[in-house]
Amino acid sequence: MQKIKLAIIGAGRMGITHYSIINSHPDIEIESVADPSTLVLTMMKKYLPVKTFKDYNELFDQTTPDAILVCTPPNLNFAIIKRAAKKGIHVFVEKPFTTKKQEAAELNQLYKEKQLINQVGYVLRYNDCFVKSKQLIEDGIIGKIVRFKSEKFSCTITSGDDSSGWRATRENGGGAVFEMASHAIDLVNYLIGKPDKVVGTTLNQIYSKNVEDAVSSTFLYNDGKSGTIDINWSDTSYRKPASKVEVFGTGGKLIVNEHSIKIFLNEVNPAENLQKGWNTLYITDVFKNVPFYVRGNEFTRQLYDFADTISGKKEKSLCTLEDGVNTLEVIEAMFNDYEKNGKL
Amino acid sequence: MQQIDKIIFGDNQFFGINHMSQEKAQQLAEKFYDIKNIYRIYDNVIESGVKGIMLNSNDRAKDICNHFREHKEKYQNISWYPSIPYPHKYANLVAEKGILPAINEVLFKDNSASGVLGMMAKGGMAVLSKDAIKMMQMLIDVEMKMFKGLNVKVVFLQNVITDLILGYDVKEVFIEYCKHIRKKYNALPGLITQNMPLMKAKLEEWGVEEVVLCSSFNKIGYLMSPGVEEYVEAAKTNDPSKYQLMAMSTLASGAIPAKEAYEFINKQNIQSVVFGASSKGHIEETVNLIQI
Repeated sequence: MQKIKLAIIGAGRMGITHYSIINSHPDIEIESVADPSTLVLTMMKKYLPVKTFKDYNELFDQTTPDAILVCTPPNLNFAIIKRAAKKGIHVFVEKPFTTKKQEAAELNQLYKEKQLINQVGYVLRYNDCFVKSKQLIEDGIIGKIVRFKSEKFSCTITSGDDSSGWRATRENGGGAVFEMASHAIDLVNYLIGKPDKVVGTTLNQIYSKNVEDAVSSTFLYNDGKSGTIDINWSDTSYRKPASKVEVFGTGGKLIVNEHSIKIFLNEVNPAENLQKGWNTLYITDVFKNVPFYVRGNEFTRQLYDFADTISGKKEKSLCTLEDGVNTLEVIEAMFNDYEKNGKL
Repeated sequence: MQQIDKIIFGDNQFFGINHMSQEKAQQLAEKFYDIKNIYRIYDNVIESGVKGIMLNSNDRAKDICNHFREHKEKYQNISWYPSIPYPHKYANLVAEKGILPAINEVLFKDNSASGVLGMMAKGGMAVLSKDAIKMMQMLIDVEMKMFKGLNVKVVFLQNVITDLILGYDVKEVFIEYCKHIRKKYNALPGLITQNMPLMKAKLEEWGVEEVVLCSSFNKIGYLMSPGVEEYVEAAKTNDPSKYQLMAMSTLASGAIPAKEAYEFINKQNIQSVVFGASSKGHIEETVNLIQI
């Protein structure tokens, strides 16, 4: 089989990590990189066998990759992915995909029509503990879901220095909602389902001047379920980002984070070897090794999923543009709710 | 190649790091909030006969280094195995400011790092950004400052960085890293990796020898890519005069009982084990169990 020719657009933190990971995939050949940074391009040109471009338009003009990884600030993604779709290029885009749900929906439609492989980088879907939790919830081990909490905390923004980068404004995709809450929302969509209504959204600024640092919201469902999300990226009690989802059902409760799953069951479950009462599954009980590790199994699994879907080894990626649209619809509903009801 | 210590005491337990449980990590962070409790554990470790200490260059490590320097007579025969950098410092800085401003802040906000003044005179980041190797050397020197005056045996590059560069498959960076550590610190270069069989194969391909490789090594294969069989095979066929292998995460974050874990480790062709413990009893138990 011919290798998949890949281009990486945006070589910031994620682009640089993704390069390392996907470069290890036997079916992939990284052909080109586009990034405005002279430093990054100089170094890549010096040490790596890739073509480099300062502007992604030049990359599209001069090369025809089979697939691209889009790791640019979210407000640039619409134009990039639209151009890629026209050229028939498969796309992996970092979350939150775009900053506007209409743009995201248009891109999703384009990719569906052209039947090109597409994926959004909600990486927690690939974490061993969340993968296992998804299976357990789908198998109904905690019965019918009634309530849930989805949380994410980190000490990412801890000073008032006003960054002039793209993260400083919401229009560009900055703020805790796009950057952090999007993960917590996607996990809700993935594990429980997309909410039908959003109420009670609150936003707080802690260090940032133009965007929010903390957010909470309540999600309602037509079938009577409800749940909350709570996110704070300026919480200095956290050494590194931590996600947690707690799901209460008629048969028990499941609490999952990146490292463990705690399960309380009203009845014994022999099929899963779970006892009545409390059970704990650690990451060491549920992990599966990946062929190459850089910063967590989930990051490798996510990009290998993209490569393997392109080469036809898998039917569909675990997180498509459609999933990205769903998260953006919830985000937009949250911002609207806050504007309408969240201020005194 | 100078032989490394068979048993080395690690530091994750002191800094709220536990790969299995955030709760456990938090409990330990509370216990070791008072740095005297850390020093007490180090004294237990030394009493048990361990002479090697691995320490990551995070903020609290500075105080620990000071303590050992200030009590030099008491801690005469200790060998140090620093690991650099503290990855979360960079991760947060980069998330907040972007890659270049983050490096700029680390290198140039603190003028006392060696070479910084000269580099600033020459044009700072603008000049440096054309010379990846020089930039790497300066970043290493910033991280290594806190270990000055201690007997450093191996300088380890943290796995996040090692494996990132391994993915890029750029041999020059590894060659220059090893050179700099040997020349400037008169120490052995060390690489922490979660892909030990691949890292070792690459070093062999590039002809880079006399390197210490530290990796997870446990019977369930936790944090061992691509898998435990490949690790066992890589160790079995290894020539320790070229690569000394150090095992970490031997208990797989507590998933394997100590006795069972070391029965497996003791059968492997590895030269060293780094372990962590937060009580005197566990330290003594582990030291007795390690028979490599």
